[in-house]
Amino acid sequence: VRVIVRVCACDCVRVIVCVPSLCEDLLSSVDQPLKIARDKVVGKDYLLCDYNRDGDSYRCSTEYRDLYFEGGVSSVYLWDLDHGFAGVILIKKAGDGSKKIKGCWDSIHVVEVQVRAGAPLPVQTGINNVNCFYLPNLGNMDMENKIRSTLNEIYFGKTKDIVNGLRSVQMLADKSKQEALKNDLMQVLSQRSKQQS
Amino acid sequence: MADFEEQLSDEEKVRIAANFIIHAPPGEFNEVFNDVRLLLNSDNLLREGAAQAFAQYNMDQFTPAKLDGSEDQVLITEHGDLGHGRFFDPRKKQSFKFDHLRKEASEPQSHEGEVALRPWRDACDEALRAYVKDHYPTGVCTVYGKTIDGQQTIIACIEGHQFQPKNFWNGRCRSEWKFTISQPTAQVVGVLKIQVHYYEDGNVQLVSHKDVQESLIISNEVQTAKEFVKIIENAENEYQTAITENYQTMSDTTFKALRRQLPVTRTKIDWNKILSYKIGKEMQNA
Repeated sequence: VRVIVRVCACDCVRVIVCVPSLCEDLLSSVDQPLKIARDKVVGKDYLLCDYNRDGDSYRCSTEYRDLYFEGGVSSVYLWDLDHGFAGVILIKKAGDGSKKIKGCWDSIHVVEVQVRAGAPLPVQTGINNVNCFYLPNLGNMDMENKIRSTLNEIYFGKTKDIVNGLRSVQMLADKSKQEALKNDLMQVLSQRSKQQS
Repeated sequence: MADFEEQLSDEEKVRIAANFIIHAPPGEFNEVFNDVRLLLNSDNLLREGAAQAFAQYNMDQFTPAKLDGSEDQVLITEHGDLGHGRFFDPRKKQSFKFDHLRKEASEPQSHEGEVALRPWRDACDEALRAYVKDHYPTGVCTVYGKTIDGQQTIIACIEGHQFQPKNFWNGRCRSEWKFTISQPTAQVVGVLKIQVHYYEDGNVQLVSHKDVQESLIISNEVQTAKEFVKIIENAENEYQTAITENYQTMSDTTFKALRRQLPVTRTKIDWNKILSYKIGKEMQNA
């Protein structure tokens, strides 16, 4: 059994060559799979996206990545705003190709942190990672977990249900007999419980 | 960003449009057609240049067709293509014109098909119809008897679909089974395909196919048809069961390997702990 997950990168290019004026809009609203590049100086992989053209690069909390992804590549890009800062947190994890299954998980989290005027600033103690201060707030935003659960239960569960609605392994006549029996049983049981109460 | 200075030629644009159309998920041909129409911005170009794509799509998808006054459906496939937009219905022994955009059949005419193969074709059709009724809530089948490269061949096509765009999903399964009756033992060759698209607040597609090969002993028409359909039933049951099991495996292993639901510690991360650990570490190193 071979199952294919479609990647829309080629289709994006096809639409753009037909209608070049759509280029900017399309690329900003469609997420492409994250690309990995190698930083030869440091000897580490990092991820490319639309946001890391300007802004500083910074290695994100690897604890989170390793606990949830057991590996993978992550990159964080931050830039200043007038009243705070914004950033994008990228995570890419490819399956190890074992058990004849290929897959890839890309996360793109875009965050904006607003610092209200007059709010106490985190104490600068010579540590260069002021951003650590905000870490618990960012970390607790559990969108990824919700999406992962949704993918597992709803999307995969639903497509499986649709497949089983197209064809039945069990003979349809047997299936409807079973349904009828089940309904009869339920009727009898509910009548009994009404009598008892 | 690359600068597309040169305009693409009409021919190239039509080729791209046709490609999008051919890959439209089941039940979404009209949506893709309308979107592509906007991109191309020329109805003439689309209609003339992509006419082949419309026909190709229906033949690939095993689109069911119905003639007025009949409840029975016939599949549009390459095996029934008579040219000039006409298709063959081997069960009714007639040909008809098919409008690929409107998906409408018209102008029926009597058409014999290959007479020598008729008993085999009829026996297989009857056995297959009963099987399809038993397993496909909305299934349609068409069986052809054709001589191909000198070999007398039976080709069985099955299609079943559910389109529910209001619930943001569409699905279709197709299978094609062939064998030749020229030798005492035949090789049955089958291709099974499933495609499901679910797009409520997201976008998930299942696109799957499987190739099957089995041996079949050729005896008389009725017995052979019975064995043929048994092979089909077993293979299609096995395939469907494997897909269902695959979902469980995928959930338990691969998906987990990409992103776990909980960390290995089985508890959610305590971010404040990590923060104090990090600050502590940095203070040590400072």
